[in-house]
Parts: sequence; C-alpha cells; structure tokens
Amino acid sequence: MTPERFRSVVSGVLLIGVAVSAALVGTGFVAALAIGWQNSLVGAAPATAVTTDFSNLPTRLASLEPAAIVQLGLLVLLATPVTRVAASVVAFALEGDPLYAAITAAVLLILLTSILVLR
Amino acid sequence: MSLEADLGIFAISVAAGLIGALAGVGGGILVIPALTIGFGVDFRLAVGASIVSVIATSSGAAAAYVRDRMTDMRVGMFLELATTTGAVCGALLAAAVAPAALYVLLGVVLLGSAGMQATRMGEETPPTGSPSRLASTLRLESSYPDRKLGREVAYSARRIPLGFVLMWIAGLVSGLLGIGSGVLKVLAMDGAMRLPMKVSSATSNFMIGVTAAASAGIYLGRGDVDPQIAAPAALGVLAGALLGARLLHRITNRTVRFVFLPVLVAVGLETIGRGLGFGI
Repeated sequence: MTPERFRSVVSGVLLIGVAVSAALVGTGFVAALAIGWQNSLVGAAPATAVTTDFSNLPTRLASLEPAAIVQLGLLVLLATPVTRVAASVVAFALEGDPLYAAITAAVLLILLTSILVLR
Repeated sequence: MSLEADLGIFAISVAAGLIGALAGVGGGILVIPALTIGFGVDFRLAVGASIVSVIATSSGAAAAYVRDRMTDMRVGMFLELATTTGAVCGALLAAAVAPAALYVLLGVVLLGSAGMQATRMGEETPPTGSPSRLASTLRLESSYPDRKLGREVAYSARRIPLGFVLMWIAGLVSGLLGIGSGVLKVLAMDGAMRLPMKVSSATSNFMIGVTAAASAGIYLGRGDVDPQIAAPAALGVLAGALLGARLLHRITNRTVRFVFLPVLVAVGLETIGRGLGFGI
C-alpha cells in the first residue's frame, strides 16, 4: 500500500463516518423540528419522554422517532474514530510497517477496553 | 428547546468547530459555557454535547488534514499509545481524586504555557537539526506541504520521551476531568517535540476524537447526551470544522499560533473557574 493510498483509506473512513452521521443527525433534527421531539413518524404510540436513553433504541428506531434517528447518527459519530484506528492497523500492516501496525493494534486494544470496561 | 435556541446552538457550534479545527482543540471551551450560560442547559448535558462536538470536530477536520498530509499519522498513533493509557489510568483514579484542586492546578499550568507560547509568537517554522536516533527508529520525521509558504517543510520530532510523558498526562487529565486534552496535546507537540504549529494542530485534531471516543461510552450510558442539544451542536461543529480545515492551508503557522493562544488562555481561566466551583 502506497502512503497516498494509506492516507485516502484513513481519510475515507473519517469522511464516510462523518457523512453518514451528519445525514442521520440532520434528518432526525429536521424531523424533530417538524413534528416535535416527543413524536414518531410512524405509528401512533407516543415515544418515551426520555430522549437521553440509548437502551431502547431499536424499537424507537422502528417507529422512526426523530430523537432515535439522531441517536443512531451520534452512535455512528462515536464509532468513527474507533473505526479509523482499526482501519489504520490494517493499513500499516499492508504498508509493510509491522512496528506501527503493532503500535496501532495496541491503541485499538486499549481503546476498546476503555469503552467496554470503564462505564 | 425553541427554534431560536436550536439556531443559536448551531451558530455558536459553527464558531467552535472553526476555531477547534484551526487550533487543534475540540471546541468544548466555547460549546460548554455557551450552552450553560447562553441557553441555560444543565452542565452535565453541556459536557455530554461537548464530547460529541469534540468527536465531530476531530473526524470532520482530520478527514481533510490526513488527505492533505497535514496530519502526521505516525506521530499521532505513537502518541495515542500514551493518551489512551493515560486516559484509562485517569478514569480509574477519578473516583479517588478530589477534582477541585486538580482543575486549579491544570488551569495554572495552562496559563503558564500561554506565557511560553507568547514568546514563540513570531516563529514560522521550528529550527531544524539532525534527527535523533529515536526519531529515526520510530520514523517520527517527515514533511508537510505548506501552501502558504509555497514549499515542503521538513521536520523531525525532538524530545520524544518528554512528549510521550506529556501526552500521557494529557490522557490522564482527560480521563480524570474530561477536558483540556486538545490544548495539552498541541502544547506537547509544539512546545516539547517542536513539530511545526500546523502539524501539531492537525495531529492534535486527529487524536482528540480517539481520546473523546474512549470516554464517550461513559457519558452515553449515564444519559448525559441529549439529542435535542447534541444534534444542533454536532451539525454546527461539523460545518465549522470542515470550513476550518479548508482555511488552515491559507494561513501561516504564526496565525495558527495567534488563534491558539487566546484559546489556551480561555481554557486556563475556564478550568480555574470550574475548580473554584463556577458552573461553566
């Protein structure tokens, strides 16, 4: 993998993550401005009053609740840097740079540990 | 939230993203007080929105900086070893440490660094010398294309162990207090490792998303991220960061320093204020 290709992979991961996230957050935000944060686009069932809870996200997404669409977009945003690190491990390895593949893999390991364990 | 408040949060977030992308910081310095003082948002939710904003600034700006060779990815990845380890230690220690004194101490350190920064105001590129053996082994030597100067600027990282320790402290602080990681990263790369200011800023930008992502799960789980506030903040910050990333090419390293210095002073004052118990 050439350095140019390497950069375009890492840059591409960030760009796609940001674009998908912005599309979801933007859609949910505009929908919320139109119908209100507490309503759903599909189904009559009123949404939960608490929009800061991420645990019941799938069911609230199924009823296209604006807040839930925003939340999905925020999750994509949070996953973007982690995905970037994971992609860098592969990219450094393909570039023939075992030292930095190992360093990046260690960073990924610490990062995943801190996300999964420290809460 | 009223429509006016939403638009207001969006507008202030554009500014935060723009300054954040140029100075290599997350923009929480603007977002948090604007939300708490300007829009009466609960401090906890303001911090939650700020974490989201940091990741948005970082990912949005870094997408452009990586492509344009402004980010030094080896420096970034090597130092992320230090920041992530420090952040884990900080999160583990957080329950055992009284934050008030730490905030004040950090604020004083930041204001002290502002004084050191001021002495470097006129410097365009750091003095070059032969790269150290450690820099060669770790390949922490590179160059970036400076469109403003119209040439390729070569550099090699100096005082790498000191930079690594400072980065570990930056991670520790962000794990303990959830703030200050961007300014400390720029200070470590510019001040200790003597990377060019634009590279320091772009690489800090690249790194802060990872540091913030490491602790974002905690904020999400606690219910600190409210979509009603985070949505306009994230969208605004992204727009500002993309704008800032285009701007970095057109300005000099001196101008970047000129943007960074007031941010540094503001973060220092805000941090001391928080230590003394003001809810900003």
